[in-house]
Amino acid sequence: MNEPHVTIRFDGNGRVYRPGEILSGEYRINAVDPREVKAVEVSVLWRTEGKGDEDLAVHDFRRLSRDAGEEIDLLRPGRFKTKLPNSPLSYHGVIVKIRWCVRVRVFLARGKEVVGEASFRLGDLPAAKAVSS
Amino acid sequence: MFFAAFFLLGLAGLAAIFATLVVPEWRVNHVFVRHPCIVRDKRVAEARSEDGTLYRPELQIEYEFGGQRHRIWTYDIRGAFSSGQREKQAILDQFVVGQQYDCWLNPHNPSEAVLVRGYSWWLWLSFIVPVSFILIGGGGLIYTALTWGKSAERRAAMAQRVPKLNLDGLGRVKGEFPSIPLDAHITNSPGTTLAFRLPADVSPAWALLATLVACLFWNGVVSGLAVSAVRSHLEGRPDWFLTCFVIPFLIVGIGLIVFFLRQLVVATGIGPTLVEISDHPIQPGKTYRLFLSQAGRLRLNSLELLLVCDEEATYRQGTDTRVESRRVYQQQIFRRERFEVRRGVPFEAECELVVPPGVMHSFKSEHNEISWKLMVRIDAAGWPVYERCFPVIVYPGRLGNGKNERRFRFPAPQKAVKEPDGVVKEPER
Repeated sequence: MNEPHVTIRFDGNGRVYRPGEILSGEYRINAVDPREVKAVEVSVLWRTEGKGDEDLAVHDFRRLSRDAGEEIDLLRPGRFKTKLPNSPLSYHGVIVKIRWCVRVRVFLARGKEVVGEASFRLGDLPAAKAVSS
Repeated sequence: MFFAAFFLLGLAGLAAIFATLVVPEWRVNHVFVRHPCIVRDKRVAEARSEDGTLYRPELQIEYEFGGQRHRIWTYDIRGAFSSGQREKQAILDQFVVGQQYDCWLNPHNPSEAVLVRGYSWWLWLSFIVPVSFILIGGGGLIYTALTWGKSAERRAAMAQRVPKLNLDGLGRVKGEFPSIPLDAHITNSPGTTLAFRLPADVSPAWALLATLVACLFWNGVVSGLAVSAVRSHLEGRPDWFLTCFVIPFLIVGIGLIVFFLRQLVVATGIGPTLVEISDHPIQPGKTYRLFLSQAGRLRLNSLELLLVCDEEATYRQGTDTRVESRRVYQQQIFRRERFEVRRGVPFEAECELVVPPGVMHSFKSEHNEISWKLMVRIDAAGWPVYERCFPVIVYPGRLGNGKNERRFRFPAPQKAVKEPDGVVKEPER
């Protein structure tokens, strides 16, 4: 694949986590000229999906910026590690869904961006079903 | 772009107000000089507008300045027309034709003169519109500048940094259970039988007042139109367009009156409903005691207590904001059929609430919500089925670290429960 892209991998290939558990893993920025990378943002976040307008909240956020004198080394994978919160748990409802993910956003020269995202589940709740009132 | 347009529009409006209203009055008060003149004539000038005829007082004055004689029509510097012919005539009556008065004239342009000066302080109110445009537009521009080039995640991280440090009234860090509503408003009222008396989601009095205000406002506006329509028919010149226009609004108004009367009857006829709980917040897999009390004078077909969970999504569709709701859980906790509630002897019952394991906790974000409540459904003879809701907060199931155990509770009072059939029941602990 020659297009710039980001790959994200969770340690232990975990996909379901309990509140308070440690989420860790690594990301790689591929097919990008290292000199073009201005900044990298790594976020652990949840966002809503479904009928309502999207809400988004960031649990952990890190930004590496060359303008701030920070080193961005594309030869080695970047690491992330965070203790997951107690809530909100991942939820698959009828018109409200809550989805957790790790998102890596790479800012390139000339205003271009590359985004990679990997989902995981916080908690293990079953999907909800509509009931008649 | 939108905020820039707002900001520029506000600036243009402000500049226009300054140029046409503020600066001329300032010039009259600071640049113009006092000079004698003789009133030669007077009249009420008229101008036609969409709102009817508008008026302004005008006086013809004659004066000599710099060796030149001037004769002009004037009164004040604004020269604005407004309604009220009588008031304008009253102004003119203060001046006698042929008599000498003081006028204020522009020494740089002696043909410009006025008979009154001062400031129209009410004009400052006209600043509200452009200044609000400038504030909204400027605020939006500042926000755009601060968030320019920043990702959605970075903006969210910036916005969340401050609230995380706040504490609620019980000493818990608000960030301990992010996105779960706090329960301080639910646990601030001790119960008489169990630990907490749950507040209703909407107080009947407030709901009644809101309906009354909406009813009065709507029907107040519509009645004005209706009177005009009826008058046109009585005078033999029926305005069919107005009549057809007002009919749907009248139907809505009548509907509001019916709705208000129904609310009034239900609120006064069906007595207060009380629900108390042995602990709060509640957790999946745990068992709680509930106390239910229904007062009034009713013959009930059935009385039900349910635990329900609703999803609520708020979204924008065009310029409208819509809210959609779906019930995703409903459990009957208590039901009793065919009995009577006598005045002064409320129906009282205790029951057990078992919160099923593996259900979603309460959740609230800006546009999405998962809310749990205890719902009392009253089916009384001669009344429409009526529901009263008492919100509860569900925390996630026990995490094993004891973090979501509650740390504060009122002592639960001990009280015997009397059901309407006279059986006295000791509460189980």
